[in-house]
Amino acid sequence: MNRKGMLAEKILRRILWFLISMLILSVAVFYFARLAPGDPLQSYYGDAVESMNSTELDAARARLGLDGPIALQYVKWIANAAQGDFGLSLKYKMPALDVITPLIGNTLILGGVAYVLVFALAIILALFCAMHEDTWIDRIICKVGTAAYYIPSFWLGVVLVLVFSVNLGWLPSSGAYDIGKSNDLLNRIQHMILPLTVMILSHLWYYAYMIRNKLLDEIRKEYVLLAKSKGCTKSEIVLKHCFRNVAPTIVSIMAISIPHVLSGTFIAEAVFNYPGIGALSVTSAKYHDYNLLMLIVMITGVMVVSSSIIAQFVNEAIDPRMKLTEVSAWKETSQTSSL
Amino acid sequence: MAEPMLQLKNLSVSFDTKNGEVEAVRDVSLTLNKGEILAIVGESGCGKTVMSQSVLKLLPKTSRIKQGRIIVDGEDITDYKEKEMRKLRGGVLSMVFQDPMTTLNPTIPIGKQITESIMKHNKISKEEAKKRGVEMLNLVGINQPEEMFALQPHFFSGGMRQRCVLAIALASNPKILFADEATTALDVTVQAKILNLLLDIRDKTGISIVFISHDLGVVAKIADRVAVMYAGKIVEIGTAADVFYDPRHPYVWGLMAALPSLTKAGACLATIPGMPPVMLNPPPGDAFAVRNKFALAIDYAEMPPMYEISPTHYAATWLLDEKSPQIKRPILLKRMDQ
Repeated sequence: MNRKGMLAEKILRRILWFLISMLILSVAVFYFARLAPGDPLQSYYGDAVESMNSTELDAARARLGLDGPIALQYVKWIANAAQGDFGLSLKYKMPALDVITPLIGNTLILGGVAYVLVFALAIILALFCAMHEDTWIDRIICKVGTAAYYIPSFWLGVVLVLVFSVNLGWLPSSGAYDIGKSNDLLNRIQHMILPLTVMILSHLWYYAYMIRNKLLDEIRKEYVLLAKSKGCTKSEIVLKHCFRNVAPTIVSIMAISIPHVLSGTFIAEAVFNYPGIGALSVTSAKYHDYNLLMLIVMITGVMVVSSSIIAQFVNEAIDPRMKLTEVSAWKETSQTSSL
Repeated sequence: MAEPMLQLKNLSVSFDTKNGEVEAVRDVSLTLNKGEILAIVGESGCGKTVMSQSVLKLLPKTSRIKQGRIIVDGEDITDYKEKEMRKLRGGVLSMVFQDPMTTLNPTIPIGKQITESIMKHNKISKEEAKKRGVEMLNLVGINQPEEMFALQPHFFSGGMRQRCVLAIALASNPKILFADEATTALDVTVQAKILNLLLDIRDKTGISIVFISHDLGVVAKIADRVAVMYAGKIVEIGTAADVFYDPRHPYVWGLMAALPSLTKAGACLATIPGMPPVMLNPPPGDAFAVRNKFALAIDYAEMPPMYEISPTHYAATWLLDEKSPQIKRPILLKRMDQ
């Protein structure tokens, strides 16, 4: 097979896997959300539910699409979802998509900035520690980092609010911007400082330590001895040789970490009352807001699965040994040679 | 008069471990002349690798040079710091390692791994470095060097990779090459080719080679002089002919007797009983005494000095002392021309 055909086949296969995993995810969440005790009608009608009789209740369920067996409900939901209709939010009484649209940007900004900062700092820290392996500075960073990582982020958030918002009054304690200042960049940045601090402190060392140890594994390899016997310095070895070889691993870690950082965003949003889909997902689960929950889960799912696909492509670009095409080409030659 | 390139004077290297000090190299003295191939022979753990890596100072921080001097090309490098060593590594001293499958960086093209060394030690442009890199690949016998230059190591077979490692090691015209079990991981035909290549390069460039091996057959093919190590010490050193045809140390007798070619068809291979000692607390006398059927009482108590047999041939065994009983040496290799 030619190279182009292989690439097309590869992409097709990836898309297929993507669709299958999204399907499995939606079935699972659709089913499990409905297992939780509680009545979604309560979220929509409030206390009025208690005064309804059974025919009124049935009619209400039918109107909200909550009647019939779960399988049937799912088929209806997915048929609508395929056309871009994700149903009504039971709590907000408007289309789920409209509830999310204004908030998703806030989450992406907070999560994205945190993500970039976490990994930029983690890589710098890891390289520094690997170059200074087992010196006093490396040891101090390791101990401080571990201690910082184990501070619970919700507690840290509250302490930061207490110090910087309540006592010092330097930074705002909640929200994404002051009322009427949604386009004021400075104002937005001010609001992001505390949530970002919490997120960076609660994620940074986990990844920095992981990358540091990957680098140290790499430094133990024999090719480093050859590089050293060529006359390379320690920093050259770490930067030019080892870092390149752990780069695919770092990309994989970065891709896999998207859910982790995202969940961190959700916690930070909850603590700082930041208007994003994280805080919203907590509310939607609490109020049995199935449609909203499904939409948030699907968005999160798309991010997670596509991030792992992107990771695979980037990995192939960095490390030529990972190319599927070459593996299959090798298989072909080994088969013909064995004949 | 031969020009000495490398001199070790009473070199001792120790490792500090949790259980105490491990004396890996003990009081080793040797001289390597210009254009000479010196083979270091011995079983695993006898200190061959530690000795060679201590010259390049590639050993981990837990090791230290306890005593002795290392003199390279007339310059005492014993107290050289990392910065000074970096100039020597690759430029003057170079090393080839055992397993070519792991000694090359898997993600960097071969050419770049060669030019990295060239650029480091010579102030030349990228193009010139590339030209020299291609020349090096050509020298070590890689076909189509220009195309191979841009390929990663996984495109190469084991033998070709070892050639590439050699090209890297030789790229900046070092004066001394340490080949640490450089042919051990290769199969016999490839091994023979690499040995010929080493001899060829020595003749072309006049490089001195320290060839570390445990394979006596390989050593016989390549070495001008041979040093046999046991438990961190050199027990016998001499020209290849001295050591192979006129060995004096009982350990070397044992090694020779264990060669398959000296064994009658159908008979079991001769072995040396026992195990080499753990170097945590080395015995006070000859470390080989417990495995030596010719051992004298003094072997257990006192370290034998180096006895001179001829100006080129030395051995450390009490059997060479005037007062020792005359022992009939087992018949070993005979010269074909005698």
